[in-house]
Amino acid sequence: MISNMSFFERIIYLLQNYGVSYMKGAGTTLVIAIVSTFIGCVIGFAVGIVQTIPLDEKRDSLLKRVVIRAIKVILRCYVELFRGTPMIVQAVFIYYGAAQLFNITLGMWQSAFLVVSINTGAYMAESVRGGIISVDPGQMEGAKAIGMTHFQAMINVIMPQAFRNIIPQIGNNFIINIKDTSVLSIISIVDLFFVHKSVAGALYTYFESATIVMAIYLCMTVISSKLLNLWEKFLDGSENFELVDNMDIGNQMNKAKRKGGR
Amino acid sequence: MAENNRILTVSHLVKNFGTHEVLRDIDFTVDKKDVISIIGASGSGKSTLLRCINLLETPTGGHIYYHDKDITDAKMDIYGYREKVGMVFQNFNLFHNLSVLENCMVGPIKVKKQKKDRARELAMTFLNKVGMDQYINAKPRQLSGGQQQRVAIARALAMEPEVLLFDEPTSALDPQMVGEVLNVMSTLASEGMTMLIVTHEMAFARDISSHVVFMADGVIEEEGSSEDIFVHPQKDKTKEFLSRFRNL
Repeated sequence: MISNMSFFERIIYLLQNYGVSYMKGAGTTLVIAIVSTFIGCVIGFAVGIVQTIPLDEKRDSLLKRVVIRAIKVILRCYVELFRGTPMIVQAVFIYYGAAQLFNITLGMWQSAFLVVSINTGAYMAESVRGGIISVDPGQMEGAKAIGMTHFQAMINVIMPQAFRNIIPQIGNNFIINIKDTSVLSIISIVDLFFVHKSVAGALYTYFESATIVMAIYLCMTVISSKLLNLWEKFLDGSENFELVDNMDIGNQMNKAKRKGGR
Repeated sequence: MAENNRILTVSHLVKNFGTHEVLRDIDFTVDKKDVISIIGASGSGKSTLLRCINLLETPTGGHIYYHDKDITDAKMDIYGYREKVGMVFQNFNLFHNLSVLENCMVGPIKVKKQKKDRARELAMTFLNKVGMDQYINAKPRQLSGGQQQRVAIARALAMEPEVLLFDEPTSALDPQMVGEVLNVMSTLASEGMTMLIVTHEMAFARDISSHVVFMADGVIEEEGSSEDIFVHPQKDKTKEFLSRFRNL
């Protein structure tokens, strides 16, 4: 029956019969992308901030310098490892490997969140570091000059500005995550791509199903980037500001107007 | 000058960037209510000297004493010290993420742990003094250079420092804006603020300073009262440097 249909009829047929499955798959994809991007950002910020801690040869104790150096090396390894290997291999490695090697049984959901999060974290760490470096060094000097510690300056002055510079990268990572969760079907996560494979395999409608799935992916990414743009605009604040009327000129002028009117 | 009036003593200060000697054996003192101008050609080490005093640069050798405490000592609480020594930068360095009022409140609240009301009151007092109290809701990028620099001065004052360091505060401004910033500085000087000013505004330095330091090639070439330096300079380098400024 389906073999007699035209291209558009097939698409309508698929949507009528499998629409809910596609939507569920898209939902799964979105949930993994949102949660993992969020966790990844937290990891990325932590790593990026630690990596930009300056060390003062003269004032910091030897112990503090050694500990921070060691942590920085470990974090560097983490970034290189997860940036430098494909996520699909990491997923297999963690889902199947962790159970065998360390006797930890991770569910596929836990594995999925874990893999995408630490992957995003590795990329975000570099973006955050770049964001911090890109803030004018004068800002840190201004903060130091009024007696702020490095930490106080980071919280109150540097990070709010760096964060603004990093948002496009967060958006980038989120959109990459929406698309790249498709590799998680290898550990049986029923995401949008997994639904496509099932439907297409059962009815031999590869082209039609792929069309639907591409449209859904595109919708998700375009809407996301639009929302992110709005968020950026919101954070940039108003272009205008109001003068404070400390001499009560406004009231006096109103009074004068009323007098004149009478 | 009585010993208890002394705020800063710079002794045999040396600063190298790699093999390049920027400051050699600098000695001078800052007493309460002093207004000291540091003049000299670009690259003579004036700004570096100021940055060493605030420990934005770590001195290579020598000592800087704040009252009796050696701030070049590794155990010194540099954050507490910097609260007491305000700095105004050439490029203002206002915090871009904060409004004018917040710029002046963040130090007192976060560093001095003051109550918000008190910090606001203090910030408003100083913003009023520099004539920027109307602009408290503006962000730094919405202001002109002269306005930004006046806010930067208010921010430094809000920490209630003992000394204010000015690192070429008018060099990034056009002539019209220079005036508004210099006026604020003159007011501060007349009110007894202790100030250390690196500047290229010779007429201003001449009129405002209780003491003038002329630097050349990383050393203090000549120092003395405003009259000593501007009217009766002794050294050839000083004479040559000042001869380039016509309207003195």
